[in-house]
This record gives sequence, C-alpha cells and structure tokens, in this order.
Amino acid sequence: MKNTSIFSRRWQKFKTLKRGYYSLIILLSLYILSFFLPLLINNKALIVKYEGNYYFPIVTGFVSGQVFGQDVPGEARYRELKSSFKEDLNSSNWVLLPPYPYSPFEDITYDGNKMYESPSSLHWLGTDNTGRDVFARLCYAFNISISFALILTIINYIVGILIGGAMGYYGGKFDLFFQRLIEVWSSLPMLFVIIIISSILKPSFFLLIGIYTLVNWISMTYLIRAEFYREKAKPYVAAALSMGQSNFKIMFKHILANSLVPIITYFPFSVVAGISALVGLDYLGFGLAPPTPSWGQMLDVGLSNISKWWMVFSPVSAQFFTLLAIVFIGEGVREAFDPKVYSRLR
Amino acid sequence: MVNYFLRRILLMIPTFLGSTILVFTILQMAPGGPIEQMMLELQMGGNVVGEGGGGSSSNAIGGVSLPPKALKELERFYGFDKPIYQRYLSWLGVWPREIKHRDFSIPKGISSVEKRVGKVDGAIWKVDVSISNDNDLIVYEKSGEKSENWFSKIENSNEDGSLDAVVFQQEYSGILTGNLGKSYTYLKPVTEVMKPRFKISLFFGLTGIFLSYLICIPLGIKKALNHGSAFDFGSSVLIFMAYSIPGWALGGVLLVLFGGGSFFDVFPLGGFRSPSEIWDTLSPIQKVFDQIHHMILPIIAWSIGSFATLTVLMKNSLLENLSQDYVRTAFAKGLKENRVIWYHAMRNSLIPIASGIGHLLGVVIAGSYFIERMFNIDGFGRMAYEAILSRDYPVTLGFLVIVVLIRLLGNIISDFVLAIVDPRIRFK
Repeated sequence: MKNTSIFSRRWQKFKTLKRGYYSLIILLSLYILSFFLPLLINNKALIVKYEGNYYFPIVTGFVSGQVFGQDVPGEARYRELKSSFKEDLNSSNWVLLPPYPYSPFEDITYDGNKMYESPSSLHWLGTDNTGRDVFARLCYAFNISISFALILTIINYIVGILIGGAMGYYGGKFDLFFQRLIEVWSSLPMLFVIIIISSILKPSFFLLIGIYTLVNWISMTYLIRAEFYREKAKPYVAAALSMGQSNFKIMFKHILANSLVPIITYFPFSVVAGISALVGLDYLGFGLAPPTPSWGQMLDVGLSNISKWWMVFSPVSAQFFTLLAIVFIGEGVREAFDPKVYSRLR
Repeated sequence: MVNYFLRRILLMIPTFLGSTILVFTILQMAPGGPIEQMMLELQMGGNVVGEGGGGSSSNAIGGVSLPPKALKELERFYGFDKPIYQRYLSWLGVWPREIKHRDFSIPKGISSVEKRVGKVDGAIWKVDVSISNDNDLIVYEKSGEKSENWFSKIENSNEDGSLDAVVFQQEYSGILTGNLGKSYTYLKPVTEVMKPRFKISLFFGLTGIFLSYLICIPLGIKKALNHGSAFDFGSSVLIFMAYSIPGWALGGVLLVLFGGGSFFDVFPLGGFRSPSEIWDTLSPIQKVFDQIHHMILPIIAWSIGSFATLTVLMKNSLLENLSQDYVRTAFAKGLKENRVIWYHAMRNSLIPIASGIGHLLGVVIAGSYFIERMFNIDGFGRMAYEAILSRDYPVTLGFLVIVVLIRLLGNIISDFVLAIVDPRIRFK
C-alpha cells in the first residue's frame, strides 16, 4: 500500500520542485558540514607525529611550540612545522593539517604581515584588516548565522503559538489585552528598539536572540491568533469539546494540527528575516560581540576599506546565496503546501 | 464609516502614549545617561571615545570627579531629580517643568527672605519668600501679592537649622505644546535638528516609492499577462535575487563597483549632494544633475527592497482577478481583451497596491538607517542612530514621536484608501 498521508503527498510534491528541493539538500548538507568546521578550517593540526609520539592538538587544544622543537613563544605553528618536516626527508615526523589551515580568529599571522591580501590560492578570499582569513571567517559565520536564525525562529514560533493560540482560542479580555499590547509594540520602529536595547546591554548570542524575540514575536503571534480564531468556530472543535477534551488538548492536538500549513510555509521566510536581521545588526555594530565571525561585521570592515573589493563581495555573496537558497526552499514549500493554481488568461 | 475612522483616530492616543512610555522608560532607566557621559568625559580629561555605555564607574581612579553641587545642577538641568512619571508627564507637557532655578539659603529662625530673581523691564526683580505654617515656602511679589511666576521649595535642611531653598518658575512645555526639547549634542532645539534631515529622508523615500511603483506595477502586469512565459521566468529569477539581498548590502556592492575604489569611478562615494562650497557655485541645471548623480546608487539600494514584494503582489493580484468569474463573464459577452484586462480586472487588482501606500509612509521615514549610514547621507535615520549612540534622549524621543505618529496615521490612511477604492469594504 502506498502511503498517502497528506504530508507525504506534500513531500512528494516538494521533491518535484527541483529548485527548492536541491536548495534544501545543498543547504542542509552545508549546514551539517559546518558543525565540523574546526576539523576542516583551522590552524591547529589534526594529528602530529613527533619523535614517535602522537599529538592531537585539535582535541587537546593548546600545545606549546617547544614540544615540537620550535623556537617560538606560545602555541606551536603547525604550518611551519609541516614545511620543516617536509624538508627533513629522513625523519618519520609528520603533521596532518586541516584541509584549509587557517583559523577565523588568527590575527596577523606569523608568516609575516598579511593584512589586506587579495585572494590567492593560499587565502581563497583574501585577508582582512587584521590579517584574518576571509574565507575561514565566512564559513564560521555561515554556521552562526543559520543557527541564530533557526533558534530565533523556533523560539518565535513557541512564543507565537502559545500567546497567539491562547488569544485566538480564549478570546475575551486576554485577547483584548494582548491586542492592545501588540498595537503598541508594532507602532514602534523595531530596529530602533533593538538598537536601543542592545546599545545598553551589549548582547551575547542568546541575549541577542532574546532581544530579537522580544520585538519579533508579534507577526507570528498574529498569524497564529488568526488561525486559531478561525479554526475555533469549526464543528470539530465543538465535537471535541462536547466529548470533554481539555482545552490544552484541543488547542495543541486538534487546532494546531489543522493550522500547520501557514505555520510551516512561513518558516523559511522567517529564517530569511532572521539572517538579514543578524547581518544588519552586526553591520551597525549592535550584534554579536567581536571577534565572533559574522557577515555583517565583515561587511562593515569591508566598506571602510572600499578599495579591497573581496572584503565586501565575500560576505555579501555568502549572504546572498544562503538567502537565495532559503527563498527557493520557501517557494517550494509554499507551492507544495498551497497549490493555488492560477488559470491562464482564457 | 466616519464613526469608524474617528474611533481609529481616537484609539491612536492610547497607542501613542503606550509606545512613548515604553521607550521613555527604557531610555531613562538605561545606564550611561548624559550625566554619566559627562562625568566620564571629565575623568578622561575631555577625551571621551565614542563608545557609548561605560556603566556607572563614578569613582574611577585619578580623574576629576564632579563636585556634588555641580552634579545637582546637572541633574536639575536634565530633569533627573524628579521621579520618572513626572519626567514623562513634563516631557508630554502636562506637568509643570521647573526652570530658572535660583538657589539661596534661609538662616535659622528667619521666616521671610528677600531674593533677587532676575530683571523685569530693566529693573531688578525681587521677591519675598516666606515660610508658611506647614513649612511650605510661599513667594510674594514686592506688591505683597502672591507671585504668579515664581515658586519656591525647600531642598535640604542643614544641621545648624538653616534651610537650603530654591526659587524657580514653572512652565508647561512638552510635545503637546510642540516643544520637543533641546538636543544634548547639537545644542539646538530638537525640531531644528530634525527638520532638514527629515526633508532629506522624505525626499529620498518619496523618490524611491515613486520609482518603485513606476517600475513594479507595469512589470507585475506584464508578468501576469505572460504568466509562464520566458519573460515571466527571467524576471522571476531577478525578483528572487532582489528578495535575497538586503538593499543596503547591495548598496555596498554598488559602492565598490561604481564608487571608484577598485572598478569603475562613475558615482560619488556618498553624500546627499555635493558639499555646499561646490553646490553653491553650480548652475540650476548642474544642480539637478549633481543631485541625480548622488542619488542613483542610494535610490537603487533603497528601492530594491520593495521591488520584489511589490512586483509579486501586483502579479498575483492581477492573476487572481483574471481567474475570477466576472472576467470570464466579460469575455463571454464579447468584450475586447484590452477592455477586460485594463478596465475590469486592473481596477480590482490595484486595490492591494493602493492600500499599501499608507504603510509605506512609515517605512519611508524609519527604514533607511542602513542606507543613510552606508552612503553617508545626513538623513533622519542616521540622526536617530547617532542620537542613540550618544544618548541624546531628546532627539531619540523626538524621532520616535514622529515615526510612531506617521506609522499610526499611515495605517489609518491605508484603511481609508482601501475603503475609497474598494466599495465592497465597509468599516464599522
């Protein structure tokens, strides 16, 4: 028997929309891959074999340079180590570096002053004003941006479903109170409020999510409220009530399940908004604290060095392609869930 | 319907009060206010770096600290000696603001003191301050009548029995009387600070709206009429791209490409127009060109945001109307295609576009922080952004008042336009 639940049919439909489907596959795999970035893009070696001993700097963290016979203060320099081992042909020492051996935090590198280097085979997207590798920062920022937007959207959804659901379901004074509150909130310019609050609080990752949720719960809440309000009047709710179902069960088991379509189709666009917001705030200097890699901060630095085009183009294109992929996914999801067929003219 | 809109306008009042109370409270509770900034400045020897915040490090090492008397005067100047609800009410203009303070002291056992308060008509103005039975201070003019201008109160009773007191005038002035206060950083009335910047942003916003409507509506129509064609597909790709890049980020790319840094030197790097030294020497025609030359990049960046949504809205709205029964009927009774599309379907599909104008008004005003910052345009958004950074509360709040009012009005205007263009809609 073929499984024909509505969701699997929608999924089948989504799979036929190539643009969205491939965007989802690519983006999802890149995002999963980005959790392994420390193994892929890092200036710490993965494994060092030195004088018969094995070291795992990537796991153990700091290893002094003196351990490997390097005459340097502080941490070992694995890239130098690798080239020195290579010269020395008859030793059995070797280093396994990550495929892209630069760290996003590695300031002016010991290979000499590396500020403002244009893209090369060594630094794929050049270096920035403090000699950090742009490509490395770009990749780490990808993970942070998507995680930020996902967590933000999920928290927004939880708040929105709880408050909006209760507003739509219970109505009355509770609804009226929150409606007024929402009216007040939404009359304020949101970005302005976020800037005020974050200029006071100097936010961390989660505080920023909190601040953003504080001003951003409204649109979701309103969407859910309208959905619950409409569903509440339908006979199945009355039936469930007359069977003695609890309010909680009616709200979250019955109504929520029936109002999933707008909730799900809205999700990708909410993520787009989240990423844009983070980039914008970082650009203004009210986002994540430096030196956290972020596209907005990279763009800000790039724009004050406008002749270094790679410093502007890299973060903008990274953001652009990420958002484009999510928009494609969103478009696909919308089409799969809401097959509005427009008749052609005649 | 008149009733409905009257009610909407009246409902603006609580919303306005609510939102201003909210921001007012956040701003006033925040650490790093103007007094703390001033103290910090003193401690750093006047070399304060523009790093807002700083917290309340009142006893930092080595610096000059503010004497208590000066601190008190500063608090009085900024109004921080009053509880927050009084500050809010006097900011609104419904609670008297105390101005022109004159300090004096009353020695022990004396019940009436003569105090010089200023000049009136060239002569020295003196008043008598006397202590009433319940320890209040009452100010009498020299004529013996109770003064209408001056008030007095006890600030502090000293250990030796003397009293520190102050005479002051009261004034009702706040946003309700059109007084938005005086900027801390520009040292000018807020209205004067805002006016030229508001004009710049409005100019930008209106041009941007006009141009995006001019492009998006025909484009949307063409896409709808040729739904599924190569043109539709191609322009959809463009729209997806426009949707995926924030306008200001595109602005950055445009600056790099055309601002003369690495590629083409076609457009200026920023500014609203040429600096006034150059601007004043230009002929009127050159002025027009100079203005356009400066505005092309920011306007592109500004409009790209609404480009995608507006075009898609237009397309979908027309498509939906074209699939309606009344269009089929019109075709069935033998009307020409042009007439059906342009006369019947178009009128209905412009409704959502027309009603969006009111909402856009709000966006015009507040939505341009990024672009103004990026293109170095001294506009309204940048003013607010800098006011927040430098804790210039009067300007911050002034900006807020304007934006909230325009947004609330914009919503009402939207509904009003909707009611006018769509006779099916009845507001009750």
